[in-house]
Order: sequence, then structure tokens, then C-alpha cells
Amino acid sequence: MSLSETVTPRTTTGVDRDLLLRRGKSILVHGIVLALVAIMLLPLVYMVMMSFKTATEIAQDPLGLPDSLYWGNYMAALSSMGYVRSVLNSMGITISVIVVVVFAGAMAAYPLARLENRVSRVIVMIMALGLATPNFVTITPIYVIFRDLGLLDSYLGIVLAFAALKLPLAVFFYTSFIAAIPIELEEAARLDNCSNWQIFWHVIRPLLAPVTATLSLFVMIMVWNDFIYPLLLLTDKDKLTVMIAVYKFVGNTGIDPTKLFPAAVLGSIPLLLMFAVFQRKIMAGATAGAVK
Amino acid sequence: MRARYSLYLFTLPALLVIGLFFVHPILLTFDMSFTNFAGIGEAKEVGWRNYDRIISRDRYLREVWLTLWYTVIVVSALTVTGLFFAAMLHRLPLIRNFSRAALYTPAMMSFVVVGYVWQFLYSPLNGGINVALRDLGLGAWEQNWLGDPSIALYSVAFTQVWMFTGFTCAIFLAGFAGIPEEIGEAGRLEGASSWQRFRYLELPLLGPSVTVSVMLTTIGTLKTFELPFILTKGGPDGATRLLSIDIIDNLFGQYKFGFASALSIVMLVIVLTVAFLQNKVLRDRENAS
Repeated sequence: MSLSETVTPRTTTGVDRDLLLRRGKSILVHGIVLALVAIMLLPLVYMVMMSFKTATEIAQDPLGLPDSLYWGNYMAALSSMGYVRSVLNSMGITISVIVVVVFAGAMAAYPLARLENRVSRVIVMIMALGLATPNFVTITPIYVIFRDLGLLDSYLGIVLAFAALKLPLAVFFYTSFIAAIPIELEEAARLDNCSNWQIFWHVIRPLLAPVTATLSLFVMIMVWNDFIYPLLLLTDKDKLTVMIAVYKFVGNTGIDPTKLFPAAVLGSIPLLLMFAVFQRKIMAGATAGAVK
Repeated sequence: MRARYSLYLFTLPALLVIGLFFVHPILLTFDMSFTNFAGIGEAKEVGWRNYDRIISRDRYLREVWLTLWYTVIVVSALTVTGLFFAAMLHRLPLIRNFSRAALYTPAMMSFVVVGYVWQFLYSPLNGGINVALRDLGLGAWEQNWLGDPSIALYSVAFTQVWMFTGFTCAIFLAGFAGIPEEIGEAGRLEGASSWQRFRYLELPLLGPSVTVSVMLTTIGTLKTFELPFILTKGGPDGATRLLSIDIIDNLFGQYKFGFASALSIVMLVIVLTVAFLQNKVLRDRENAS
């Protein structure tokens, strides 16, 4: 008998010790696992709790609950870290990267999914190399290239740099997805003398919505949270992304908890809200590769 | 046939972006690794001198081992924690979805935020962990988590494991979901305990999930520099100075672009070798069983 089945309450008439025992054990196991999950979440609880404490409270009672919800830290952070501007910047950059990655990725995946030959294999190899390469390996030359092309401190530059970083993932996502689309769908269109582009646009593209949604969420998480690219490629105060705003606001030496925790919460909240809303999609996407 | 090849025109936008901002930079890195380029001014060819320096000094060899050791710790711990939570949650459908999402939450956060929060948790005096230990009467266990060279690496690894346990758990849960119901059923009828079913029925069938999880977390861990960068900057006493941290330090601390490029190429070779070997070993084992 699985633990799950015993959870649903049954009416017990008389003494059924076996059942009671099993139910007790089941409640215990649920309790233990939930407690472990809660322990895993403690650092996040700690982060939120600390953000509402005054400097004195943090010094005197480092783990205690705040006496009252003190919003002063947030006020200070909001007024001096350029939060709203940085959120808009991050959103703009993220959306642009998603557009580039989705279009270029889906297009590139189409021939790779349909033609099996050496050309495809070479392109796939380059993509695999792109997936495995740490971004600090390419960051210096990218900086030099950007300087020579005048792309430093431009939105266009950072969007293209991010796109190059995330395109391999997009190509893999779309290739496996398109490969699963029956070729018969295309053949009908081909008989009607449709061009490759028309087939891609009218037959293939409409089917890509689910994988596009998952991919977009992935790209969003990575672009939003990335920190080395915008740190090096953007210096204009008005172009900073959220994570750089957090990083610059908190500083790197002599960290002040009344700055650190509200900034950490503010930096994480937009994505955590997204996660709350799209949780199922993200979880489905996170495991898409594993199920096959 | 011509018409078929014209299909490759579709790859042009992607190849253009990747060519300009990935392939070209890699080639430049390779180029720069044979110079003493310092960011500005002339780059002088120095031949193999950068590589000579890397090979002839113990410290870089140590960093390579440290990087591999760190990856081994993180990947094995992530596999165990992910498997543990997945095996439990697989048996508890009532709380499965909630817990899976809850465990995944840290992976949604930035390394910057996670690094800062844990830096504070680990701090020796008023840090959350030491205070909690004191409050629980375990004051003897207090540590200078990031300041003690003998444990700093494990503290950083612990944070990374905390961050990505939800990720491996999600992969394994998908693996569990792919195991036919009848197998667990048969085990139960035979009177197999929960542990026996896991060990002898489920685990052998989770091979593909283990492969995916180990490969993804290995590459991911080898690629990280953010956590040690924020938590310890490679210290104390070089205890967390991974190869990646040395590269970042050479680039942005000392502007030794040429030397950092050589280190980067070494790093790239390591990542690709590990990925290739792992792929081969894990796939072979999967095919054999």
C-alpha cells in the first residue's frame, strides 16, 4: 500500500490498528519531507525577514523576527539604487534577446531537423561547443570586439552578446521539437508549390508555441540573472540591469545588511513573481530534456 | 538537391550572431593566448610562454585539481540530494508539485543575490548559521565558514548544492514519472520495502535521468565562477581559487589579457574533455545495462 493512498481519510469503524498505524506513519513521512523542504527555504525566509529589520535589530538579535515591518531599508534602496530604471532596462534587454533567440533559433533549427548530413553535423557541433563554453572564456575578446565596433555601452551590443550565448540552447530546443513534427504536414504544402519560407512560416512556426514559451522563460531567467556581461559591457548608469544595480548598490567590501537584504529581495521579486505564475510551464521545461 | 541545400539559408541569422560573438571571440582568445596583451597598446607575440608558465608552476595544476574536486563534490551531492527528494516526493503525490516548485525557487535567483545572502549567513559573528547553532546549544560547531581554509571550499559548494537541488530533483521526478506503474506495484506485492523498491527497481531504471542530471550539473558547475567570486574571491589563502577565479582575476584584477586567455583555453579544453569523457562513459554504461 502506498503512502499516498492512506492519506485520503477513510471512515474507520471499530479498531483497525493496522490502518491507524499506516496513517500515522504516512502523516509522519509527509511531515518530515515538508520540514526538509521548509529548511531548504530558510535562507529565503531569512532574506525577507532581514530586509525588514533596522540596523540595531540586526546587531542585537540577528535571527529574531523584526519587531514591526520596517520599510525604511526599502525606501532607502528604492531611492538610491535606480531600481525602476534598472528593471525597465532588464525587461527591455530580456525581451529583445528573447525575440532574437526565438526567431534566429527556430529558423536555424528547421534545416538542422530536416537535413541529416555533414553540414548539419558541423553546425550542431558548433552549437554544442557554445553550450559547453564558460562565458568568461569569451568575455575578454567580446569586450575588445565591442570596443572596436563601438558597441560598448549600447543596448544593441549586449542584446547580441546575450543572443550568441543563448542561441545554442534555442537551436537544440527547436531542433528536437521540429524533428518530431511529421514531415507529411510539409509535403502537402510542398505540392502546392509553397516556398521553404512559406512552409516554415505557415506550417512549422504555428506549431512551435509550447517550446517557445518554455525557451523564453529559460532565456529570461538567464538574462535577468546574468551579471558578468552587463557588468563589463554596460557602464552608463542609465543602462544598468537589475543585478548590476544590486551589485553596485551593495558594494563589495564592508557589506551593510540594511542595504544588502532589501536589494536582494527587490532584485529577485520580478522573477519570483513570474515563477509563481508560470511555475508549471517552467517545471515542464526544466525537465523536457530528461524525459526523452 | 539544390532546393534542399537552400534550406541552410535559414541558419544564416543564427550563424551570423554566433560567428561574430562566439566563434570569433574563441579564435581571438586562442590568438591572444600567445601574446602578452594587456588590454591596451601593442600585443607582443610570446610564443608558448604563457602555456609554459601554466604547466611549469604547481599553482595552476593545483587550481585545476581544485576545480575538478569542487565539481565532483557539487555534482555528487546534487545527485544524492536530488534523488533523495525525488524518491520521497514520488511517493507523496499530495505535496509533490508544491515541494518541487519550492525546492526549485533558489535556482530562479541570481548568483549575485544568493552569494550575498549566503555571505551574510556564513559570517562568523552575527551570521545566521553561527547564531542558529548558538541558539540550538551547538555553539561548539560554530565555524568561520568562509574564512577557514580547510572548510571554505565546502561552504561554497554547499551553497551551490542548495541552489540547484531543486533542479536535479525536477529531472529525477520526471525520470520517476516515466517508470511504468506496474513495476512499483509488482514490488509492493512481493513485499519489497520502500527502500528495496528504490534500490532494486527504480534506481536501475533511472539511468537516463542520472546521465542527463550528471552531465548538466557537471558542465554547469565547471562553468560557474560567480559564487566563489562573490563569497570568497578565491580566498582564504587560495582555498577556493578555482581556475575560473584565476582567469577573472588575471583579466580584471591584473589586466593580463594574454595570460588569462591561455588559462581560458586550458579551461575550455578541460570542460570539453570532461564533457566528452562523461558523455561516453555514461552512454556506454546505459547501453550496457
